Amino acid sequence: MIRLENVSKIYNDEVTALRDATFDVPKGEFVFLVGASGSGKSTMLRLMNRQERPERGSVWVAGRDVNTMPDSKVPYLRRNIGNIFQDYKLLLNKTVFENVAFALEVIGRPKHVIKQQVPAVLELVGLSGKQDRFPNQLSGGEQQRVSIARAFVNRPLILLADEPTGNLDPATGEGIMRLLDRINKTGTTVVMATHDQRIVNMMRRRVIQMDRGVIVRDQARGVYD
Amino acid sequence: MLARISYAFRETIASFRRNLTLTAAAIIVAAVALMFFGIALLIQSAFSNLLVKWQDGVEMIVYVKSGASPEQVTAIKSSLEQNSTVAEVSFKTQAETYEQAKKVLAGQPSLIATLSAEKMPSQLRVRPAPEAEELLPSLKAQFENEPNVDQVALATDTIKFYGQLSAFVRTVTIVFAIVLLLVALVLIWTTIRTAMFARRREIEVMKLVGATNWFIRVPFMLEGLFQGLLGALVSCVGLFTVNSLWNGSLKDFGTEDAVTNDLLALQVTGGYLQSVMLGILVIGAAAGAIGAGLAASKFLDV
Repeated sequence: MIRLENVSKIYNDEVTALRDATFDVPKGEFVFLVGASGSGKSTMLRLMNRQERPERGSVWVAGRDVNTMPDSKVPYLRRNIGNIFQDYKLLLNKTVFENVAFALEVIGRPKHVIKQQVPAVLELVGLSGKQDRFPNQLSGGEQQRVSIARAFVNRPLILLADEPTGNLDPATGEGIMRLLDRINKTGTTVVMATHDQRIVNMMRRRVIQMDRGVIVRDQARGVYD
Repeated sequence: MLARISYAFRETIASFRRNLTLTAAAIIVAAVALMFFGIALLIQSAFSNLLVKWQDGVEMIVYVKSGASPEQVTAIKSSLEQNSTVAEVSFKTQAETYEQAKKVLAGQPSLIATLSAEKMPSQLRVRPAPEAEELLPSLKAQFENEPNVDQVALATDTIKFYGQLSAFVRTVTIVFAIVLLLVALVLIWTTIRTAMFARRREIEVMKLVGATNWFIRVPFMLEGLFQGLLGALVSCVGLFTVNSLWNGSLKDFGTEDAVTNDLLALQVTGGYLQSVMLGILVIGAAAGAIGAGLAASKFLDV
C-alpha cells in the first residue's frame, strides 16, 4: 500500500530530515512511527500525501509513484488518504455535521450521498447526538473524533495520523486509539506518528523508530523502546 | 455538478460580505478606469466622425446654397476647375449631403428629423494640385463671396487642429485608463489575497481532502469576475450619462448648418456607444476573473 525506497529529504540544502529511508507497509497494516521531536516522523507522513517531495528516492502510495505524479493528479491521490492531526484542524464556524460534510462537498459528492454518509460515520465515531454542535462546544477527544470522521467519511485506503493523542489525556487518548483500531480492522491502512510511549506499548503493533532522520528499528508487534 | 455551482456561489457571496470595504474600493477604481477607457474610445469615434467629410484627399469644400440652380452650380464648378491650384472637383448633390448628415448625426434621431434634402447645401469638393495646399486660403477668400456660395470650409485648419486635439485627449485618457486599470487589478489582487488569507484553514483542509485546485480557485475567480463586472456596469452608466449630456448640449448649436458645423459632428454615432459598453463589460469581467485567478494560483501554495 505504501512503499518508500531510499528516500532522503533535505530542507534548505542543509537540514537532513530523512536519510535513506526504506520500508514497506502492506494493505491493512497498523504502523507506529516513533522517535523524538524532529526525528523525521512528520516529514515521512508529509511525503506520503505529497505535501513534500523527497530529494532522493521514491515514494509509492496505493500503487502510484507520488513524486513523478503531475500536480493535477495529487487531489485524486489525496482522496484515498485521510489525515488526522494533533490540533484537529476543524473549521470553527461550521458544525460537526458541516465539518464532516465539507470533506465530501469539496470533492463534488452529491447531497444525497452526504446526507447518508455523514450520519453513518458520525455514528461510527460515537458522535451521533452532537452533529449540530460547534467545535468549541466539544471536548478535545470529541473534536479529534470529528476530525477522524472527516478523514474517514470518504472511506480512504490509508489513514495518516500525526500525534492524534498529543493534546489528549491518557483515557481520552485510549478511546481515540480504540477508534483507530476499529477503523484499521475494516481494512484501512493506518500510519501513526507518535511519541506516546504508553499507547505504543498498549497496542503492540509494528513500530518504526526514527532517530535524527534515520530508521533505527523496524519491529513487528513492537514496544516504544 | 449543481452542488459544485451552488457551493461556488455561496462562497463568493460570503466572501463579498466579509470583505466589503476592499471589494467596494476595487469596484469603484475599476469603474473609473473603465470609464476613462470608454471615454477615450468615444472621443476617438467622435473625432473620426468629424473627419468623415474630409476623405479622398479633399481639402476644401464649397457649400453651394440650396436655392442655386444647376447652371449656377456648374458655373462655380468650372470656374474652380480653371484655377491652377485645383486638381479635381467632385460634386455632391443635396440628397448626398443629406445622406452624409444622417450618417454623421446618427446618434441624434431627433436632429435628423428636422433635416430635409431640400434644405441641404450641395457640395463642390476640391482636391488641390500637388503642393498647392498653402494657396487654398486665398482660393477660399475668392469663392466665399460668390453670391450662390453658402460657405467655404478648409480641411487644413480643422483637420490639423482637431487631429492634434484628439491625439492629445486620447493619449491623456488612455494613460489615465491604463494607470487606473492597473490600480484596479492590484486592488482585486489584494482583495483575493485577503479573502484567501481569511480562509487559509479552509483551503488547507480542502487541499488535504483532495479538492482540485480549480475547485478551490473558482469561487475566488467568480469574486474577481463580479468585482470587474460591477465596476464595468457602473462605468457603463457613467458613460451613457456623459454621452447623453454631451449630445444634449450639442443640440443647442442648432440644426440649420448640420453638415457644415463641425461641433455637431463631434458626437458618437448610432450603435457605437453600445459596442463600447459591451466591450467594457467584457474587459471588466475578464480582467477581474483573470486577475483573481492568478492571485488565487499564486497564494494557493500556502
